[in-house]
Order: sequence, then structure tokens, then C-alpha cells
Amino acid sequence: MDTISRRKFLQLSGAAAVGASAAMLSLEDIAQAAIARPLPLGTPIVVVVTLYGGNDGLNTVVPYTDSLYYSLRPDISYKPEKVPPLADGLGLNPAMTEMKSLWDQKKMAIIRGVGYPYPDHSHFSSMAIWQTASPISHISTGWLGRWLDSQTADPMLAISLGSVPPPLFAGAKRSGSALPLGGLVVPSGKLGMRCQTLSKPSLSDSPLMASAATSMGSLFNLSSNVTSVLQSPAPAAPDLPVTNGGNAGGDTSLQQQLDLVAKLIVAGAPTRAWSVSLGGFDTHANEANAQAALLGNVSYSVSRFMNQLKGSGRASDVTVMIYSEFGRRVKANASQGTDHGTSGPVFVIGDRINGGFYGDQPSLSKLVDGDLVVTTDFRDIYASILERDLKADPAQILNGWKGRVNLLYKQ
Amino acid sequence: MENQRLELSRLYARFAFGPMPGQFTQSLTAGFAVSAQNLLNTSVADPQLDSLLPPSLPDLGNRPSQADVAASKAFTKALQVQAMEMTMWWLDRMAITHNPLLERMTWFWHGHWATSIDKVNFALPMFNQNQTLRANALGNFRTMAHAMFHDGALQIWLDGNDNIKGAPNENLSREFMELFALGVNNYTEDDVKAVARAFTGYQAVRSTGVVTFNPKRHDTDLIKLFGSSTPLDGDSAVDLIVSRNENVSFIAQRLWYRFISSSQPLESRFGIESAFANRDIANTMKVLVTGGALSVPDYSVVRQPVEWFIAICRAFSIKPSALKPSTLVLSNLQKMAQVPFLPPNVGGWPTDEAWLSSASAQFRIAFASLIAKQVDFTSLNAVSSEKRIDYVKDLLGIYSFSARTFTALTNAKDDLQQFFVLAVCSPEFVVNA
Repeated sequence: MDTISRRKFLQLSGAAAVGASAAMLSLEDIAQAAIARPLPLGTPIVVVVTLYGGNDGLNTVVPYTDSLYYSLRPDISYKPEKVPPLADGLGLNPAMTEMKSLWDQKKMAIIRGVGYPYPDHSHFSSMAIWQTASPISHISTGWLGRWLDSQTADPMLAISLGSVPPPLFAGAKRSGSALPLGGLVVPSGKLGMRCQTLSKPSLSDSPLMASAATSMGSLFNLSSNVTSVLQSPAPAAPDLPVTNGGNAGGDTSLQQQLDLVAKLIVAGAPTRAWSVSLGGFDTHANEANAQAALLGNVSYSVSRFMNQLKGSGRASDVTVMIYSEFGRRVKANASQGTDHGTSGPVFVIGDRINGGFYGDQPSLSKLVDGDLVVTTDFRDIYASILERDLKADPAQILNGWKGRVNLLYKQ
Repeated sequence: MENQRLELSRLYARFAFGPMPGQFTQSLTAGFAVSAQNLLNTSVADPQLDSLLPPSLPDLGNRPSQADVAASKAFTKALQVQAMEMTMWWLDRMAITHNPLLERMTWFWHGHWATSIDKVNFALPMFNQNQTLRANALGNFRTMAHAMFHDGALQIWLDGNDNIKGAPNENLSREFMELFALGVNNYTEDDVKAVARAFTGYQAVRSTGVVTFNPKRHDTDLIKLFGSSTPLDGDSAVDLIVSRNENVSFIAQRLWYRFISSSQPLESRFGIESAFANRDIANTMKVLVTGGALSVPDYSVVRQPVEWFIAICRAFSIKPSALKPSTLVLSNLQKMAQVPFLPPNVGGWPTDEAWLSSASAQFRIAFASLIAKQVDFTSLNAVSSEKRIDYVKDLLGIYSFSARTFTALTNAKDDLQQFFVLAVCSPEFVVNA
């Protein structure tokens, strides 16, 4: 199913317009920029992976030595012998073998108990809070959108995969661009010329009509000077296994998205922030198989991505952050699934990351209304990434936020 | 006069999927008030629509064992064929109906109670839901909310079958309040848990959507909801939810958001909330249409892909199922990311800018070019080439063309296929002024 729902998360949460409207790029545009003005080697790059639907953190980083874990969810717990151990009595979901190897190489940080104050169990509100980094007041700009506002205008600076850009890239002045999977085919000949006429701005256009004209116009802003760096279109999205978590948004082709991002990073795209996503984590029923298939996909795709960067000289430039809008209820429901919960683990991966655990594991004996407590505020992670990778002042972008995840980065 | 043209353009684009041939010019003469009254009357005799056969949807029963490869393949094929026939049937209805407000409202409610066949799998329960939405589309919201609670497709979509006494599943409970009836932040987490308990014990048959109540699985204890404790079943909980004041402002805002503006806030001076005070949908639509909002210049909207396609069909007398090959319509709507019965999530489809990417522009031009090859251009050809631009402007119910679009159309006025593609892909048609 082709999913274009992310903008919806902001709209339903009551935030009004989604900042500045986003440009749509073609592969050729980015290839052209990679040739003309490649990103200098050594410039940090951030890749944000959004897991839509609410990933069950307790079955991702599993407290396999805690008897409460087994008594609270007898039918959907992983047996101790199945769980690859990490440390502190915690292990990784058995489907995440490739990411276990990143952990062993000390390239993967797991920040435990991450969430925001006053948890809201709505997909839409929670995702809006994560993407805007504004837990109390509704605002229409995303945290990386506000970083874009602080930079020189450049449509290549932040790119999301898929045809609708996510709210996290929406700034007040400018927004990240979107790269649709599969590439664009542009009308040619007389029709192409006439469509270009049709895409010129007009004084009588309403703002939406102007956007309609601009979107058509950017179809034609192509360079004729593109080399063979990136000519082949992206492969078709492989079908995922049928899951029970499919009603809360997100794209389904994570591997395809990350393959393309790797290719563009290696080519030298002048892009500092990338956004990719995977949907299907809303596992109210029959969770075990569905979640394992999804986490296996995340694990394989991310580790494949890291491998593709090797030998490019940029492997140590890249930081990957993986998050979801909330964790799930500790106690299982009657349908071998879990309902919407609160905090969950966030993964941060890269050569410059100090692998290991950060933040306290929420206790299963001290639940609040049946939910895990939040031990780390999500903005601590954003602040560290903004400061260390994007060289920005986190306080300016995160409304004065001072917290960090200490020692997350090397040096 | 210009204001009348704006109001009429919006009347047809937003509430009728676009005018049929001749309708817009007649309305310019008849005036807005008469045209609005005609549109709001949804009991016009419609023999053509009555003769449209509903899709044949025999109960397919349980999925055969995977070991039986031939039977499994045939079963999957039957699921696909039924879904496709049902979708084309609905698109045909939208395109040919003479009571377009009723189909338009059914389409609105489909996006509101957004349920996807992607998880429901079977067409029959989706078809039954579609009939329920149509039967209640202009009725009373309270009646609709009860009918939708008992709707099999919705129950399956939001895990109602798994909601059992002692271990409730909150999916339906939460979305019922957040997305269907009250809006986010208008209820507490305790309310979600309470309503989930009230909703326990309802079971839907997957292949048919028939819902039955199983008292053994229902939580009969006292349930504290909105401050008072009583035993509750699904219907009594739905009643309490719909009785909340927040239901009035929430539904009024959802109608405003889809029909008037997704970026400008609802204004009380138009009287939409008070019109919905007794949950009367027809009366609320009347106020939405005639209350003055249609003449405010700021409120433009982007036609969603299905609305764009159906407006073309209505203007050029195209029956969607008659387009060849039979997969043309759905494969192109899929590329444009909007297929009926397949909303992306329980929040429904996005609005406005979300449909204005270069990718959508490209897919729109490609789809229009394919349709152009099958359009009957006899009447367009009969108009002299000097008058063609004005003619197509009225045919499509467009408020006005900018100089840029006028130039593009003038350049193509002797190539009818390109003229058609440019007109339906113009910013002035893609966006309703």
C-alpha cells in the first residue's frame, strides 16, 4: 500500500499549516548537485529512521532476566535462551541479528526509556510531538525544519524519501525536499513545453494554485548534463509480509529507501539530513511475528546501509537515529498484542558513537497507569545530534533545551 | 456576478464532484440560491443510477489451507476481483449520479471512518460499510455512530474481535473518540480504558462483516465513564460519547476542514456548529453550502485525486468502468496515492499541499494523457476554436483562468487531446479557487 500519511500527523494534532511547502527532487537533480558541489569529506550526516505505529520497546530490548516481564505478558514474551544478550540483563529481539553485531562492534548506542512529558497515547499527537520537538504547545515546524531555517537556503540540505515530506523537515522559512521512489518521468515535446507554460507563476494565483504551478514547474528544472552516476531508477518496493500493525502510517520499503540514501551519500550529495521510514508497528494483535518481521527488516536494512558506506570515505561521517512515537503497554491484551504505551528505546548508530546503554531502564515494578515511566527526555538526543553532527546551538532550535545524552559521541 | 461564479464553482467542485455538461452555464442563469437548493435536494429521480448493477459479492468464506495451492490462488484472485469490481462500481456511481451530494457525503464519511480493505481483506464487509455510510450520509450522526459501531469492517479494522472482558483491546475505543467522534484531548486515558471495556464482546465474521454480541466475552461490571458509573454496552457507550458537547465542535470542524478550508479555522459566524447541535447532518450541510463561507475568497482547496478524476468523468460523460484497459483507472489512482477503500491509515487521506508534489503533477499529466485518448471530443470539436477556452472553463466549472493558463490553452487549441490534458492539469482546475 502506498502510504502518504505523515503530513496528516501534524494536521490532526491541531497544528495549522505545515510551514513552507516542500520541493520535489529527482535523482538527476541530486546527482547533478553531487557532481557540481559534493559534500566535503568529514562533514557529519544524520539519517533519521521513523518507525510509524508505536514500536514495542520491551520486545525490542528485552528484559529477559526480569520475572515480571514474563508474568505480565506470558504469551508474547521471548524466552531467555532465544534472546541475544547485550548487558545489564537486557537482550535484543532475536530477529535483530545484524544490529547485534553493530552492538558488539560498539557502534550502537541504545538510549533507554525515551519519551516526552505527559504521555499522550494518540499516534497522531505523539508523532507530532516527536517531529516538532514541542511536547506542550502545538507548533507547525519540525525540529530539523527549524535547523534548516538557520541554514543558507539549499533544497539539497535535507531530503526525505517518498512523495510526501514528513513534518520533522517543515521549517517556517524553508522545508526539506522529497525524493519520490522510482524517479520522475517528465513530459517532453510540445506537451512538455505547454506544461512549462502552465507552470509559470501568475499574480492571480491563490497560495495553493501557486504551489500547484510550482510543483509542475520543478518537474522541468532538470539538468541536461547528468552523468551516469545515478541513472538506474530505484528498484520496485518489495512486498513486506502481511502484518497486523498496518493502520498507522509509514512507508513499507525501508531497504529500498536506505539503498538509495547510501548511493547518494557515496556519490557526494550535499545533504546533511535524510529521513526514511517504516510503518506497521501498531501491533494490537498477534504481535510476535509481525514485530519480528519488521525489526528484522530494520536490522538488515540498517546494517546493509552501514556496509554500503564502507570504502567511500564517508562511513565515519554518518549517524543513524531510529525512533518510534511511543512504546507499548507492558501488559499484553487478549489478542497476543499490546495497546499504546509510553517510553521506548532509541537507537543511535555510527562510527563516532560510543556504543552501549544510556539512560535508565524503566522498572516493571514501578509502572504509572500500567505504563513504563520516561527516564530520558527525547530532546536530549536531538540536542546531542544538533550539537555534534549539525554544529547547531540546540537551545535555539529546541526552545532553550539544555539536556544532552552525555558521552554519546566519542572524544 | 463574479462572486456568483466563485460560489457556483465551489458548489459543484466541493459538493457535487463537479458539474455535468451544460449544468454550470444553466446555474449561471438560475443563480446560486436555486442551484444550491437543487443540489441539496438528493431525491431526484435517477434511472441511470438505479440501473447500475451492484457488484456481485458472494461470501468467499474462510481462506483455504495454504497446502492447497490451487484453491489458495483461486481464493486470492477472487478477493482481488471482488475488490476491484466494488471500487469501480463506486467510482461509476460518483461519475453518473444526479444526486451527487449523496455520493460526495458517502466519500467524506469514508475518509472520516477511514477503514482499509488492506487489513479487512474481504470486499463484502467493505461494501456493507459503504451502504451504511450512504444510508446515513445525510441522516443523524448519532444513528450513524451506532450503525458504525456495529459495522463489521470497522470492528475488524480496529481489532474489535480481540476486545475481550479481562483483557480489553483499546484500538477501536481510542480511535472512536479521537478520530470519529470527539477529537484528540477531548477525553482522558481513563475514558479510553472504560470505553474499551464497554466495547468488549462484539464479534465480526471476517468474510461477511456480520457482527454479533457474545455476552460471555462482555465486561458486565460497573464502568466509570465521563464521571458516572453504570454497566455499559457498546450502544450505551456510543450514546454517551455522541452526547458530549465536544462531538458538535469536532464534527463541525471536520466538515469545515474537508469542504471549506484545511488551513483557515472554522468561524462561528457561519453557524455550522449550531446547525449540528442536534446531530442533523443534512441541515449542517445546508448551512455549510448556504451560510456564506463559499463566497469568502481565502478558502481554496486542492481536489484530491479521486475528486479530480470524477470531475473529469462528469464533465466529459465518461463512465470509469468503460475506460480500457480495465486496470487503467485503479493503477493510475494508485500512483496518485488515492484508491477508494484503501485509505493510508485510520486518519484518512491528507489534504491540500500533500497532493501538490512534482510526483503528483507527473502522475496527473500521465493519467490525463491516457484518458485523453478515450474522450469523445465531438462537442468540444463543434465549438469554434476561439470559443473553446471559455467553453471548457464552464464545462469544468472553473472560476477563472490566469493569463498563463490562457496562453498554454491557446497554444494547444487545435490539438484537442493536449488541450484537454492542459485544462485538467491547470492549477485553476487542480485547485478549486
